[in-house]
Amino acid sequence: MRSPQLTPAKPTKRRLYWPWRDILDVLAFGAWSAMLFRYWFSGKILLLLHPNYTWLSHSAAFALVGLVALTLFKIFRQMAGPQSGQTKDMLGHVTLMPPNISSALLLGVAIFGLIYTPRAFASQTALQRGISETLSLTRSQPQRFVRAAAPEERTIIDWIRLVNVYPEPDAYAGEPVDVVGFVIHPENWPDEYVMVARFVITCCAADVYPVGLPIKLSAQERSDYPVDSWLRVTGEMTSETLDGRRQLAIAPTNIQQIAEPKNPYEY
Amino acid sequence: MVQLNTGFTLFLSLLVEAVPFLLIGVAFSSLLMFFVDERALIGVLPKNAFLGALSGSLIGLAFPVCECGNVPVARRLLVQGAPTAVSIGFLLAAPVINPVVFWATWVAFRGQPEVVFLRVGFTLIIATLVGWVFSRQPDIGPFLQDSVARSRFRDFNRESGEVKPSAPSALLQGGTFIQGAGDMGAALRIDTPMAQRLVANPALEKTFSQKLTLAAENMVRELRELGAVLILGSAIAATVQVAAPRELILGLGQGMVSSIVAMMVLAAVVSICSTVDSFFALSFASTFTTGSLLAFLIFGPMIDLKNIGLLLTVFKGRAVFYLFALAALMSFACALFVNLFIG
Repeated sequence: MRSPQLTPAKPTKRRLYWPWRDILDVLAFGAWSAMLFRYWFSGKILLLLHPNYTWLSHSAAFALVGLVALTLFKIFRQMAGPQSGQTKDMLGHVTLMPPNISSALLLGVAIFGLIYTPRAFASQTALQRGISETLSLTRSQPQRFVRAAAPEERTIIDWIRLVNVYPEPDAYAGEPVDVVGFVIHPENWPDEYVMVARFVITCCAADVYPVGLPIKLSAQERSDYPVDSWLRVTGEMTSETLDGRRQLAIAPTNIQQIAEPKNPYEY
Repeated sequence: MVQLNTGFTLFLSLLVEAVPFLLIGVAFSSLLMFFVDERALIGVLPKNAFLGALSGSLIGLAFPVCECGNVPVARRLLVQGAPTAVSIGFLLAAPVINPVVFWATWVAFRGQPEVVFLRVGFTLIIATLVGWVFSRQPDIGPFLQDSVARSRFRDFNRESGEVKPSAPSALLQGGTFIQGAGDMGAALRIDTPMAQRLVANPALEKTFSQKLTLAAENMVRELRELGAVLILGSAIAATVQVAAPRELILGLGQGMVSSIVAMMVLAAVVSICSTVDSFFALSFASTFTTGSLLAFLIFGPMIDLKNIGLLLTVFKGRAVFYLFALAALMSFACALFVNLFIG
């Protein structure tokens, strides 16, 4: 339905109409798109999402560009000449927050995301979330279990899953180990033990949970391996008594300090 | 400082994972809002109250809208003479029983597929039962806001699929007529009656390109609104994860009953859109019982702060209270059942 516009007759010069709300939308969506592209190209998206779902975020970045283009087109048309009665509230859309505040919030968070670089979770988070050798019921329970062929190819989570299925630590004694993880110093462990841990991700960083294996050092040299430093540990499996129970531990032959991997999670 | 970093990373991770689904959700809901005519649906729905409620709950498959989009659709259904059971079933189930939400929940709870199926199953059961209960009220009129009740078509002819205004007025009617063209010299109406046009989806009469423009505009509007709510929700989730003491969270989250109550209160307050609420719930998955997560995922889309405001535009306070109470009690019962016998 076209309704006649009641505009003051001013034929000499048309006043330029700035659609501020649309401009705010363009800025907000544009910043969101830029933020998603930034995480994509810097590889930081791997800190936030499981690799299976990064394509969703990449597509969203493109879709937002499309929305920006559409809104720009609308602004262009509006500025060229005022449009007839738009159906702003014709669908009875009820909002919780004023639109300008919503846009400002979107824009603010996107700018924050453009400035801030996400960090991989560290040992403090691991200790807060509770590291377990046994996976609790709320965690991913694979219905199919494939035993990794060679012991030295197993990652930390592979070992943990294995122990979860067959918990007797002596069964693995003497098997070669080659794992990568970051260092945790659990408080109640004696000084010759450190833990090498990894976070496991199933969907996004909100659900990461830590898993870890103890390393039995030859001397009380815990301080040689600072908390949160990354290690590559090779050696063989043995069983040790820690926290009052027998469990799997690594007897290392070589411990190598490495840089934080590009993708710190395991799956 | 480490805590702050963890909090920010969590916050951004929730947003980055949820935004694609939010985009898909608003795109679908905008397009369908402008291209599907719900009048055609009403004619083919079953007559029986129970089956009506069930089919109403399943209409969501054709209208993938989250809880912010479904109230206007439910309102149009009611006004156009859809049975009460159908409208209530749709109102409660549509935000969950739709492909986008199913997919998002699947992505989030890949590790616990039972959550996905229980969410859909329980929602279907609750929505159907509540719709059935409401159908015992023969005339829904007293439950509706006056403005909605007045514009309703009560006389719905099932055979012809025709709807007529409840009280055809003998008084002078506005419109365009051709004098003497009909039988017995009565005036023949050549335009749509005003009342009917007012309640129908106003966009359906527009041209294709106009509809597309409107859909795009609606998409921008919904994205702005829901994105802001998503940001607030993610901020709350991240803060609770980082700032709340672990003992408190575990004490609350591992209790059979306390965890369910806590998550239901959270669901009502946070008002996060059903397309992305599974990611919010996911951040509580390691500390809260499975039943309480389900309670959040079932109850949140049905009733929350934002939704109550919307519901009050259609229903009177008393009806909203009944809806709220029934949905809350049944969600609680389902969640407790899961905690006791499944989780």
